[in-house]
Amino acid sequence: MTQATAKAQSSVTAGEPGLRLRDVCKSFGSVAALQPTSFDVPAGTLCSLLGPSGCGKTTTLRIVAGFELPDAGQVLIRGEDRTYDPPQRRKLGMVFQNYSLFPHMTVAQNVAFGLRMARVNRAETEARTRRMLDIVHLPQHADRYPHQLSGGQQQRVALARSLVTEPSMLLLDEPLGALDKNLREQMQFEIRQLQREIGITTLLVTHDQEEALTMSDMIVVMDRGRILQTGSPAEVYEHPRTRFVSEFLGTSNIIACTVAGAEEGGLRLRLPGDEGSSGFFVADVPVRPVGSTVLVAIRPEHLRIVPAGEAGPSEPRATVSGHVFRGATHVFQLQRPGLDRPLMAYRQITGPVGETALPVGAEVGLSWLPGTARLLEDEPLREDAA
Amino acid sequence: MTAAAATSGRRSRRALGAGLWPVLPAVIFLLLFFLLPLAENGLQSLYVPDAAGKLVFSLDYYARLFTDGYYLGVLGRTIWVSLLATVICILIGYPVAFFMVRHAGRWNGLMIFLLVAPLLTSIIMRTFGWNVILARNGVLNSTLISLGLIERPLRLLQDPSAVIIGLVHVLVPFMVISIAAVLKGIDTRLEEAAELLGASRWRTFREITLPLSLDGIATGAIVVFMLANGSFLTMLLLGGGSVVTLPLLIYQQFLLVQNLGFAAAMGNVLLVLAVISLFLQLRLIRRDGGAS
Amino acid sequence: MTATASWRRLERRLPTLLLLAFVLIFFAFLLAPIVFVVLVSFGDSEIIAFPVTSYSLRWYHRLLEYRPLLDSLWFSLKLAGASAVLAALFGVPAALALARSRSGLADLVSTFLLAPLSIPMILLGIALLYKLSAIGLGISFTSLLIAHTVVSIPYVVRTVVAVYRGIGRNYEEAAAILGASRRQIFTYVTLPLIGSGIFSGMLFAVLISLDNLSLSLFFGSAQTNTLPVVMLSYLQNQFDPAIAAIGTVQMVIALVALLLIERTVGLKFMSSPS
Repeated sequence: MTQATAKAQSSVTAGEPGLRLRDVCKSFGSVAALQPTSFDVPAGTLCSLLGPSGCGKTTTLRIVAGFELPDAGQVLIRGEDRTYDPPQRRKLGMVFQNYSLFPHMTVAQNVAFGLRMARVNRAETEARTRRMLDIVHLPQHADRYPHQLSGGQQQRVALARSLVTEPSMLLLDEPLGALDKNLREQMQFEIRQLQREIGITTLLVTHDQEEALTMSDMIVVMDRGRILQTGSPAEVYEHPRTRFVSEFLGTSNIIACTVAGAEEGGLRLRLPGDEGSSGFFVADVPVRPVGSTVLVAIRPEHLRIVPAGEAGPSEPRATVSGHVFRGATHVFQLQRPGLDRPLMAYRQITGPVGETALPVGAEVGLSWLPGTARLLEDEPLREDAA
Repeated sequence: MTAAAATSGRRSRRALGAGLWPVLPAVIFLLLFFLLPLAENGLQSLYVPDAAGKLVFSLDYYARLFTDGYYLGVLGRTIWVSLLATVICILIGYPVAFFMVRHAGRWNGLMIFLLVAPLLTSIIMRTFGWNVILARNGVLNSTLISLGLIERPLRLLQDPSAVIIGLVHVLVPFMVISIAAVLKGIDTRLEEAAELLGASRWRTFREITLPLSLDGIATGAIVVFMLANGSFLTMLLLGGGSVVTLPLLIYQQFLLVQNLGFAAAMGNVLLVLAVISLFLQLRLIRRDGGAS
Repeated sequence: MTATASWRRLERRLPTLLLLAFVLIFFAFLLAPIVFVVLVSFGDSEIIAFPVTSYSLRWYHRLLEYRPLLDSLWFSLKLAGASAVLAALFGVPAALALARSRSGLADLVSTFLLAPLSIPMILLGIALLYKLSAIGLGISFTSLLIAHTVVSIPYVVRTVVAVYRGIGRNYEEAAAILGASRRQIFTYVTLPLIGSGIFSGMLFAVLISLDNLSLSLFFGSAQTNTLPVVMLSYLQNQFDPAIAAIGTVQMVIALVALLLIERTVGLKFMSSPS
């Protein structure tokens, strides 16, 4: 397919999502790897499937790629039903976890492979291969073999190989897992930039929440074969609906609170062991019966702690039980009667380190901005109820 | 304390150079009873009895082997039969190895067992088994007759094809195991990557799987060729004189003619073939070591 | 829609199904001779004919009457056992030294120790017969023992090197840090860890020795006939199911040994030819 027709086609199907899954499900034997799952990835955007191993993200990717057939449901790529097409006919690009570069072929041969399969003529194959290697900054490595390259270079070759055929979609299967931290951050940036430039719909599978947050337009959080939440990185991070999501993306303090009363537009909640106080307000949540227990998530960076002496009289108190210095922040562990698990709080270091430190054993006052505490949908477990 | 540490440090450093002394008994034993006999055997083949029965230095035996049409034929047939058996083993063994590695799943253990079990039954018993199957009144003929496909028993034994069947049967497990070992190391994602890039299943096999498993084929081929080269029992029991190879001739020279010198000379020709195979095998192993 | 789906499923499975059929035929081919020999051994008729009409144990009785077959089996077992022990005495120390050495010399030595596997047995047999006759051993149990040990050493070395390398250095280093002496390390750590490797290497050596016709052929006499030699000469004189019966007995012995190996270290050490 030439570039011109590709563009024509994408304009015809403008508005179609780049990828649409409709009630796709899959089980292996008696194990349901994927419950009926539906989501859309808007054309040209990068969507992450995020979750722990065994959550169904890899199965989903393999169904999109055509390596597995779904038990039921539909896979639409650019509006076309591809559910039962073999991988060869789907015109996808994919970067595998370990890059899967063909060890017996040079870099150039690897990149040219897809063009050769599509019977693109020799001159064009060479030209496109060279151009692609330029794009990934590896023009001088064309005649090397994969094992002669560093991890980051192999990664770039894999990317070049998957993009040179101008696929309708790009699949990334934990593409950065094998790289060390600095290189990973650099590659995240590079891949994201390239993806935006080309404007290719991309599905990224990862278990690394940081990767998902930095790279995606949209995150699909999965667990045990189900989608838990879908949304932009900021949405999912700021408004986790369930305990799993709030703990998988970043760190959260999960606290079982009592409903003290319903007010206009929200609920008034009370921390355990804080029966006398007026509690705190959570806006925009469904009504729950007074006296019932609900789960609330507060991010450690949202918990503000000050020495008890400087704290307001109504602020709940806690005791510092542990402290770790982490460069840009202090991390405090706080104990509070009525709480089984210690709370985590971060304190930004703005001046000399000692200024913001608090000794273990110190009593502090706790507060947080209205709107940073989130009511979770899960029912509290017995162990959460103090 | 520090003195002791220094001593042990020195000792361990010395051990790096001299730590091989435990190999000495084995090496001496094999020098005496392996290398030396082979060397003397080599010498022996160079001495031919003259008219008076005295041994004199001569290349007579080798001259006979490489000029006499009969012996050249035997030499050629030895190599040809081994090559043919090797090629058939590759063609049969590859799909089986592929299935074992890619599709057998939990049956893999059973398949390995079934593959190895025949290797541990007596080779005479297996050859006898082919006798039972291929004989005039054997399994195959009686089945074919009772099915009405043939009227009179076919002559299947005492025939080159019986020899090839017998050889392939004995040697194909080595081929399967060699190929499977290499196939197991090939990441299936390489094949998936090729398919996603538009390669058909067959193309994927030809461009990715086959080239990457050539080492396994080569290793298996060398082993099979070497073993086929050295075997005479199959020729003796299934060929009935229709396929005379070098080892069979050695056996006959030794037991019937008692011409030890000539048998030694033929043995040395066989040895040259074996050494070439061994050399190829070592080259392969070195290359593997370098690549990884 | 569903038609496409089921067609796609079939299309995807078809090559695998064809392959499966091929594999089944392959195993039928591989096992057929053995199965028929076992069937024949339980047959009742004088001649070997199919189908086997009535079954009996008469050929197993025949084994008890015609002593050479069973005697040679016993002789072969003794020979195989003795050569395996000898091979372990030579091979295990060598293997332990080689497994931990990286010098070029060690490469050369291990190639040499494995070389007997790559030499045509029939040549080795002739050469050894010369040599051993020259030093006065001639045709004897000792000669056979030496010949079989030469071939058994590679099996022991190969298996023990593989097992010892697989274990790595960590356990021994842990023991050393905990204060164990070299001898204590060997007795309490190394030996228990490689014990199964030694055992399976010896078992392989035994099985190979039991079936080694080419080597034993040249040392045959009334007192020193191994099982394969007797089987061959029996087969050349008469063609009756007694040979099937003794083959079956030997197979059962081999199968038991194989199961023992499978239980101890698995079959993977059979596989690599190097």
